[in-house]
Amino acid sequence: MENNCRILNRIVEINIANVKYTDLELNGNTCFVGTNNFGKTSLQRAILFFYSANTRGLGISSSQKPFEEHYFKFENSYLVYEIQTEQKPFFVIVYRHNKLVFRFVDAAYNPDFFFNENDEALKIKEILAGLDKRGIFFSQQIDTFERYRNILYGTETDKQLSKFYLLKGNEKYQNIPKSITNVFLSSKSSIDSRFIKDFIANSLTTDTSSIKLEQVDRQLRQFNEKYTDIETFLKKESQQLIEFIDKKYDQVHMLKGQQMEMADKLGSSLRYAETQNETVIKASQAKQEELDKLSENYEEQKTQLEEKQKDVREEIGYYDKSIREANKKLKEYKEKNIEAAVEKNTEREKLQVELNIARREYETLTSNVQSIEMKYSALIEQLRNDKTAYINKVNSKTSEIFNHYNELQLLQKNEYSKKETDLKQKREEALNELGAEVTAKQIEYNELKAEEKVIRNTRFYENEIKAQETELADLRAINYKNKSELAIKTNLVQTNQKEWENLENKLKTSLSNQIQKTNNEIIRVKAEIKAIEDKLNVQHDALYGYLEKNVKDWHTTIGKVVNEDLLFRTDLNPTLTDNKDVSLYGVSLKLDDVQVVSKSIEEYQFEKNERLAIIRDLEESLNQFQVSTNEEKMLAADKFGKQLGELKEDIKVLSYSLELAEKREKKLILELEDWKQRANTEIEEALTGNRQKLVIVEEELAVLNKRKNTLLNDFNEQFDKLKTFSEERIADLKNRQETEISELEVEKKNQVKEYEEKEAQLSSEKETNFKAKGVDSKEIKKIDARIKELQEALKEIEQYAQLVNDYLKDKRDIFDKLPDFIQKKEEFVKTANDLTTEIEEIARKYNVKRMELNKQKRAYEEELIEFNNGINYFTKNFRETPVFNKYADIIERAEPKKTNYSVMDLCTQLLKNDSHFNEEYTAFQRYVNEFAGKYRLENHFNFVIRNDATQGEYERFAQNLRSFVNENKIQLSIAETATQISLVTESIATKVKELSGQKDKIQHIISLIAEDFKKAEFEESKLIEYIKIRLEDSDNKVYKLLKRIQEFREENGLIYNEGLFNTDFSTHKNREISTRAVKLLDQLRTAIKEQEQEEIRLQDLFELKFNIKEGLNETGWTHKIDSIGSTGTDILVKAIIYITLLHVFIKESSHRSSSDFKVHCIIDEVGQISAHYLRELLRFAKARNIMMINGLPNKSGLESHYKYTYQFKREENNNVRIFPSIVTEVEA
Amino acid sequence: MEETTNYNLPKQTHDIFAVMARGNFISSNGTRDGMNRLYDIINNPENFDRLQAYFNVIRYNIERGNNYFYFSRLNEPNSELEKKLERFERYIDIIDLFASMDNKIGVGSRFRPTEIAEECNANVRLKQKLQKIPLYRSETLHNKVREICDLMSRDSFLELEDEKSESYKVLDSYNYLLDIINAIAIYDDAGSEDTQGIVYN
Repeated sequence: MENNCRILNRIVEINIANVKYTDLELNGNTCFVGTNNFGKTSLQRAILFFYSANTRGLGISSSQKPFEEHYFKFENSYLVYEIQTEQKPFFVIVYRHNKLVFRFVDAAYNPDFFFNENDEALKIKEILAGLDKRGIFFSQQIDTFERYRNILYGTETDKQLSKFYLLKGNEKYQNIPKSITNVFLSSKSSIDSRFIKDFIANSLTTDTSSIKLEQVDRQLRQFNEKYTDIETFLKKESQQLIEFIDKKYDQVHMLKGQQMEMADKLGSSLRYAETQNETVIKASQAKQEELDKLSENYEEQKTQLEEKQKDVREEIGYYDKSIREANKKLKEYKEKNIEAAVEKNTEREKLQVELNIARREYETLTSNVQSIEMKYSALIEQLRNDKTAYINKVNSKTSEIFNHYNELQLLQKNEYSKKETDLKQKREEALNELGAEVTAKQIEYNELKAEEKVIRNTRFYENEIKAQETELADLRAINYKNKSELAIKTNLVQTNQKEWENLENKLKTSLSNQIQKTNNEIIRVKAEIKAIEDKLNVQHDALYGYLEKNVKDWHTTIGKVVNEDLLFRTDLNPTLTDNKDVSLYGVSLKLDDVQVVSKSIEEYQFEKNERLAIIRDLEESLNQFQVSTNEEKMLAADKFGKQLGELKEDIKVLSYSLELAEKREKKLILELEDWKQRANTEIEEALTGNRQKLVIVEEELAVLNKRKNTLLNDFNEQFDKLKTFSEERIADLKNRQETEISELEVEKKNQVKEYEEKEAQLSSEKETNFKAKGVDSKEIKKIDARIKELQEALKEIEQYAQLVNDYLKDKRDIFDKLPDFIQKKEEFVKTANDLTTEIEEIARKYNVKRMELNKQKRAYEEELIEFNNGINYFTKNFRETPVFNKYADIIERAEPKKTNYSVMDLCTQLLKNDSHFNEEYTAFQRYVNEFAGKYRLENHFNFVIRNDATQGEYERFAQNLRSFVNENKIQLSIAETATQISLVTESIATKVKELSGQKDKIQHIISLIAEDFKKAEFEESKLIEYIKIRLEDSDNKVYKLLKRIQEFREENGLIYNEGLFNTDFSTHKNREISTRAVKLLDQLRTAIKEQEQEEIRLQDLFELKFNIKEGLNETGWTHKIDSIGSTGTDILVKAIIYITLLHVFIKESSHRSSSDFKVHCIIDEVGQISAHYLRELLRFAKARNIMMINGLPNKSGLESHYKYTYQFKREENNNVRIFPSIVTEVEA
Repeated sequence: MEETTNYNLPKQTHDIFAVMARGNFISSNGTRDGMNRLYDIINNPENFDRLQAYFNVIRYNIERGNNYFYFSRLNEPNSELEKKLERFERYIDIIDLFASMDNKIGVGSRFRPTEIAEECNANVRLKQKLQKIPLYRSETLHNKVREICDLMSRDSFLELEDEKSESYKVLDSYNYLLDIINAIAIYDDAGSEDTQGIVYN
């Protein structure tokens, strides 16, 4: 009985798997004998479970039932492990309470605790009640494997449980169960350094401490894909394509917009044409009616006025004639010296009175000589009578002749007058005729002039021009507004960009400061670590190592007084002296209250780990900081990018609308000019026609005037001829009259002379007689002369009496009324003129109105024609085309509206534009395809377009691309990718560092193993001369690259990602570093792909080589030993190595003070080993406080070397019975 | 290491030669076997000059197209040129077919043979064009299009991007075919018997 140390003393299975009950002692080398499938391995697993308490690490394949279900089939299935201690033993119960749980019981195992009187296993409650009843302490239920192991390996802090330990482990105690497990699980493998590596590594690491290459590869792939996408995006060709796409999209969009606008106009025009047809016809008819009515009114008014004008003209003619005749008479009277005649006539009365007075005077004077007087008077009277008779006769003859010639003259004059009148009439008629013609032409001329005025005043296309002008004004107003908005938004963009840049700079500065600060801190901590490592590295050879090895509890003595630097000096050559007293160079010190200054290796290790943790924390916090900086960057990019994107989009839209508006304005101006030009042309055309007519009329008028002049000349000539002839004839007549009269006068004169001579003779006789009778003849003569003078004067007056009378009568009747006539004539002329003006005015008004109406009517008719032509054209040439189908919706939904364009023009333009649109669209599509084709199908920008994508999809692609560019999303992507490369390298570096951190432990373990091999006492058998082991650098390509990445990461810190793609603000160095980083990741990815390894584990970090010499055979330094000797030898060597490993791990993982314990090494199947070797092996193990548990297929004598041998037997009910074989331990 | 030490050539020189010496193209938008990477390497001016000098020694000349590269032989005999022309001849009808599709197939386009076959089936004109294409004996339109795609993939004008969905992408080298088509000058042979089509290359 080994009772001075702790050991698993016993295992009891109650209702476990196929074993109903078994109670096996294990406190020595134990051997299980039984054929395969009898439960040897199951039992070994149950033992292993005691150490590992891990159901997953028991080597149960996934096809088999899990440990819990296979072992603990029943409610009352129990595994009981009894542990022997220095005092009394305790045991652990393992049972299933949903999951596997443990209870520690402070007593030696006793079957009575578990079975009732009928040998039936109790339920746990009953068991516990029984224990309670017996006053035996049992622990609370231990629910976790971890806690169980803590208790078992002595790290439990609960005082009630702290006594239930097998050994006192240190912080690495987990290696003990791992090592035991690994030996059990690997015992069937051949000897390969990889196994040892695995063993060591598995013992040191957990399942999670490996680098999962699938995960790394995924990260690398994701990074690489993003990187490639960004690289593709940033390529010059891609940027060029983006520009092309953007440009073409605008063009396509604009063309589409135009087409839609045009389609809408076409629809509107068509609807308008259809709906307005009837209305236009009616309007045209109404205009015709209006025209007819207008003409009728005009004719009526004109006739009325012309009638009036005729009357007035007659009046004018009458007065004109009267005035002319009066003037003529006046002229005649003047010619006859009427004024003198009238003057003389006024003296007639006075002369008559004077004559009467003279006669009476004469009579008075001649009264004395009456008889003589009478005689002579009678004679004289007779003579005078004769003379008078003669004179009368001559006068009568003269008068006759005078009258005859006068009559002839009169006749001549009458004839002349008649002929003149006829001629005048003829002239008047001709003139009238010509005048009428001239008047008609003049009217025509006036009308044309009026029409010209109307044309000049008419504003053709007034509505269209007005509409254009209004549209232009509206457009300019909107333009103005848009320009201001554009200016504001451009300013906003600049402000935002500055703000963004500032923020980025701030973040960048803050990041670089943080990096600097962290790196400084890391450098400082690394220096401290290095100092600790230096200490640890030299501690073996320094005073420290010496004290550790040779002086027990030196920390409480020397550790309190010695300088720390001194402890790690290697040049002190410490030696133990015989003086065992606690003294310092012979001086005894009481050190109870002195603080220990020295530190244990664990404390140094702990400090080092603490510092490593600090570095990790620093890096982690830097990472966090960087991540948060990136997040802030991304947030800013998101915020500003979105704002900028929206603003840029707005600016683009505004610029585009301004551009469009500019084009539209130009177009409108051109159209306006066109309309004005058309209006002018219309005016010019109308005026040209008018002018031509005017010229013709003017020419005709001139011809007519010429004709009139000619006519007047002709008539004047005729008048002159007639007048000359008449005057000549009258002159002739007058001449003849005068001749005849003068002849008569001469005759008369002679005769009168004779008479007067006779009278004078008589008078003289009378005188003589008077004288004779004394009568004053002188006085009588004087009176007589006076009488004669008066008679002559009166006679002369008498001669003009008729003329004066006529004159006075005419004066009274005609001449005095002449001013009135002139006045009246002028009034009538004025009236006539007014009437002419009035007629002209109404003619003008009529013409204007007529023209207006005609124009309107013509416009309606033209509109109608245009409507019909348009509809026909649309039906024949447009409706069946694909263009119609494309815009059918818009065309059919359009509201009826009048547009400035004809349906025909719109159709033609639409067809023409569509062909242009198709060309542009094809180019646009080509650019999009080419651009999208540059990316992977699953690119992270989602730049994908199917070949059969619709127009909408292509346009959406372009829109998204534009947003992407405007919102500068590439920067987000770059930031993400930069973060990703940082995270990937960081993650790799951390993992590699974590993993390589264990390398020191491996180095340590290997050195211990090597040490242990050296200590092995193979001398007895001389079978194995030595086993050597050494570490070499790993050949693993992936690990090498991972390591390079980690080194790179450490060398360059976290800043290199800033240089990723960015050429603006990163330095050349950053770019170079980034390129190197990307290359390294790329190489790693390729290596992972080529190597096809799932993970990099601790064992991949180093190569392990053995050199074993067995007899004369030496393997040399190799990592794989195919065969050293016989199978038995191989098993032996393997077992030796396992035991060594186990020993080393146990030693390393247990507390230094804890040495009084033993553990089991479970190696199945050692049947081929020779008895001699087995003995050697058992001894080798025993020397290291390790008990062997082995499996043998059958009894072969080997079992005699074990303290306990158990046999397995399958019973009829398929249960397995395990019973001890009676053997004697030969030597162990 | 990016470059081989002896000639200061990129380490991908062998890969580049392996592709182009087979008469294939290296296109910038090809993704299989790192084709775009190879393109970038040749496109690097320093690399280009070195590669050109290197390949010229073995009488190969790198020709640069619109986003693609290929080899031509220095002093190529006429018989070789004729062979090239013969090889090209079959593409005239294919390009004609591709250009006549509703959604014209051009550089960067992604399509599946079924889509083309379906469109050809629905459009008599396209169907005739497809049937007119010589050298193929497939019975169904779909198989014929597939064979065309196979041929074009072999000649590195197309890339089978997704085998599962049988999705092809048109590579930049397709421009080569278009360039040649555009370089063909057709003369009216009515005037003279001597006149003939001239192909510029």
